[in-house]
Amino acid sequence: MSKRNDKVSISIDNSPFKVGSGLTILEAAEQNDVYIPTLCAHKELTPFGGCRMCIVEVEGMRGLPTACTTPVEEGMIIRTRTRQVQAERKEILQLILSEHTSSCLICEEKDECKGFMGTIRKAGVTTGCRYCPNDRACELQDVVEKMEIREIGYPVYYRNLRVEKDDPFYDRDYNLCILCGRCIRMCQEIRTANTLAFKQRGRYTVIGPAYERTHLEAGCEFCGACVSVCPTGALAEKVSKWEGKAEREQTTTCPFCGVGCQIRLQIRGDEVLGSLPEQDTLINDGQLCVKGRFCVAEVVNNHRRLRRPYRTQNNTRRELSWNEAIDLATERLSACSAEEFGMLISPNCSNEDLYIAQKFARVVMGSHNIDTSARWFYGTGLNGYLNLTQMAVPLSDLREASVILCLGLDTRFSRSVVGVELRKAIARGAKVLTINPRHHSLSVIAEKWIQPTSGTELSLIDSLVKLTPRKAKPSRASSKATIKGLSDELLAVAEMLKGASSPMILVGSEFLQHDESPQILESIKTLAQNTGAGVLPLPAQNNLFGSILMGTYPELLPGGFSSSSRKRLADLKKIWGLKIPGLPPAWEKKMFPVDKKLKVLYLVGEVPLDTLPESEFLIVQNIYPPDPWHAGDLALPAASFAEVDGTFINGEGRIQRVRKAVHPPGEALPDWEILCRIARKMGNKGFNFSSARKVHKEISSLVKGFGNFDKPSRKASPLTCEAELFIPRAKSKTMKTADKRFPLVLNTSVVEHTHRGFLLSTWVEGARELFPEGVLEVNSEDAKKAKISEGDEVVVTSANFEKTWPVRIVSEQPQGTMHVTLRQGESVGSNPHRVRIRKKNV
Amino acid sequence: MTKKRTARRRSGKDPARDKHFARIFSEFRGEEGDLIPILQKTQERFGFIPREAVRRIARFLKISENQIYGVASFYSQFRFTAPGRNSIKVCLGTACHVRGGQILCDAVERELDLKPGGTTEDRRYDLERVACLGCCALAPVVQVNADIHSRMTVIRLKETLDKYE
Ligand code: SF4
Ligand code: SF4
Ligand code: SF4
Ligand code: FES
Ligand code: FES
Repeated sequence: MSKRNDKVSISIDNSPFKVGSGLTILEAAEQNDVYIPTLCAHKELTPFGGCRMCIVEVEGMRGLPTACTTPVEEGMIIRTRTRQVQAERKEILQLILSEHTSSCLICEEKDECKGFMGTIRKAGVTTGCRYCPNDRACELQDVVEKMEIREIGYPVYYRNLRVEKDDPFYDRDYNLCILCGRCIRMCQEIRTANTLAFKQRGRYTVIGPAYERTHLEAGCEFCGACVSVCPTGALAEKVSKWEGKAEREQTTTCPFCGVGCQIRLQIRGDEVLGSLPEQDTLINDGQLCVKGRFCVAEVVNNHRRLRRPYRTQNNTRRELSWNEAIDLATERLSACSAEEFGMLISPNCSNEDLYIAQKFARVVMGSHNIDTSARWFYGTGLNGYLNLTQMAVPLSDLREASVILCLGLDTRFSRSVVGVELRKAIARGAKVLTINPRHHSLSVIAEKWIQPTSGTELSLIDSLVKLTPRKAKPSRASSKATIKGLSDELLAVAEMLKGASSPMILVGSEFLQHDESPQILESIKTLAQNTGAGVLPLPAQNNLFGSILMGTYPELLPGGFSSSSRKRLADLKKIWGLKIPGLPPAWEKKMFPVDKKLKVLYLVGEVPLDTLPESEFLIVQNIYPPDPWHAGDLALPAASFAEVDGTFINGEGRIQRVRKAVHPPGEALPDWEILCRIARKMGNKGFNFSSARKVHKEISSLVKGFGNFDKPSRKASPLTCEAELFIPRAKSKTMKTADKRFPLVLNTSVVEHTHRGFLLSTWVEGARELFPEGVLEVNSEDAKKAKISEGDEVVVTSANFEKTWPVRIVSEQPQGTMHVTLRQGESVGSNPHRVRIRKKNV
Repeated sequence: MTKKRTARRRSGKDPARDKHFARIFSEFRGEEGDLIPILQKTQERFGFIPREAVRRIARFLKISENQIYGVASFYSQFRFTAPGRNSIKVCLGTACHVRGGQILCDAVERELDLKPGGTTEDRRYDLERVACLGCCALAPVVQVNADIHSRMTVIRLKETLDKYE
């Protein structure tokens, strides 16, 4: 075999070419601008040779080989357009078309018809036949055009299959399918989600999951990769169905989790139609998860977006102009002292927003009372989590890792690009180990799945620490317990970790609501140090790093410095031109976020919740109106991530650019701009920024790594954070031992699919089906015992709370345990809970 | 409930029991090439490929249920429903096809509300399409259990089937 970079001489249609050996004829032709029609070949997928559209004539070869599967050889003489080749291609295409609704492709009136399609009549009339949502964005149409097919010489056969619309996000009309197998190869080779397969054979061949299951039941991740590669309209995205092609694209960063995938927003006019993955990035090579692929358009381009400021008074809503709104805010804020002010900003906002917000609090209000919802999300584990982020390694290290331990990570609907990398790693021989109490996307593919029973998570990880000592030093005393039954498995896992040359640890969200999460996170850190593994925590918030580095916490100044540090405060004075008092000692006893009635509470990109401190005046600045029960007093319309410029920092510590793609709806403005306007109105200097770029420039004088707005530093670098955050002690103690009154164990997790305080499922229709928040998952045996069936309302009682949830019966849920995902702001204390259940009386 | 129980009695084995699978899997090492032989063993044991089996094979071989189903449904030797008391095989080989085999097949489907590869609700019949039963001269051919019915017509089909309880 010749090496790949060798060149061979070939001739295509009588022109000589020198091309790399190892290419296929198709690739060689494409490199040299020779057109060969194709249907099943796709540059991201392995050749399949199924459609036979790409046949060519090669001298000395029998028959007509397919260009997409035949490698070039020295001296090959290839002809792509001989009469025989063309005739045969036409024949094949006609056969394909005979099973495809195709009168639109070959209709005699086609050209005249097009002229009348853009009718302006008011009544609905048929103007041209449209069988397919992909009309004019269809590869089959292109090929038919190029091959000049005018008629079909075969009897037309309509398969009359039911259009499958049961799944969220995309519809499937297999009557339009040409069985090119691209979707299957995408799902199997690249996503390795293995949802799709050819079923049956011959004339009855169809594509889909096993039996008649829906994609949701079959383990589909709704990544949309199959939809992207389908050459026809068989697979079509629900929201942009019938919309046609996008006019332009804008590359930006996905705002839905800390992975920070690069997406290409699809835009027509001033409207975002959807989003597609960027190829060749260090993070998501051409892949996305359901949130980045399908949720963007509905979040950004939603008719319920907040468009104008309004005031709510005595339960009535009055729209205001921006001037009125800013006057009102100014009036209230001026009458408010430093201690009576509180601000909460979302870690989904850009660095520029976060920076201005804390500057606003500290300079305009003279107050350190600013915080983010991350404090609630991570609870007592926040410091431990931040410690881990200070060790974060780049995601691309996964490509070299030989053993990968995943802790509490599920990659089906979130962070699924990491799942793709994991499966690729398995394919090249790496071992993936997963520790998770629940059935999850990795449990089938992992080499070992360790399923800790509730309450044993810490001792399990501690045992791992003990089994992989750096020196023969015993670890902490609390970890004497060894777990029965799991020991063999655990030994094997420890051996693999010890023996690995380049191990890696990925940390998901599963253990974060555990009452022992600080210790668990600490042990993860020790485990990493002992085994020399790289750690990558995968935060649910897209800009958690940004919120630390911009200093949107009372304890932190920009740069992650402690807000009691004299030196840092002096540095700030140079730039802000104003002396800032340090954080008063023992602030946490008196102030935010401890319950106390505030004068003004200002929410930037957050929503009002029962768990927030009370206030006399509540300002809500967001992209959606707050729900009517928590309306607040003043609502300010903010621009969404697709409508602003700025930067995020992802979980690897990489600064990433957010780019403005469309204009904000109505009168919405970027968060930083609203804050600057109010600050100026209140007579403050230092808020004269004309663009996010200018804000970024000021940040760069305080925080390392910032500065180049257009090409932010691509490098991943771990977080630096000097100060520890103050963590209030958990109020209720969990019950350690079993109790006759409370025979079952309940574990809760907090929703991760929020954006700016809202659940994605509130605004994205399909997301409602994927994310079952507020649903109690019960094992089938336990359900039988308690005489509960699917959908029943069930009362869950523990020593601390009583709650009612609808039930879903899940056979994978371990017996004796239950699980529920809590809505944001809902809190029942930390895991595990001992509870009993009964069916609610009707 | 009763229906389910009879089904189990008929196929003789309860697919929810670990021991059947332990025995089947014990002969294999869990490589991808094992799929077809495992499917064959499974069918031997249960008379068909139960859903539970597909689930367990997926875990054993670390490939998805969807792929297994895709492969298994390609081969006509595998069936996914418990066999009926009488098995109908409609020949769709070249000779029978030319002489209306498909029409016969459609007629059975309509008459018994039965899809190829399926079993009727009362388990009286199951239906399969086959390619050439080797008696093309008698086309179109329908086989019920061991009996070959030649030169079949749609009209005679019903009375033929009625004879099998
Ligand atoms: S959406 Fe993704 S996981 Fe689902 S079938 Fe398509 S490629 Fe497979
Ligand atoms: S659904 Fe689309 S991609 Fe899949 S086989 Fe059919 S035409 Fe090809
Ligand atoms: S993995 Fe995270 S960053 Fe990537 S598309 Fe999904 S939500 Fe967006
Ligand atoms: S493109 Fe080569 S066979 Fe389909
Ligand atoms: S084709 Fe039916 S028996 Fe040969």
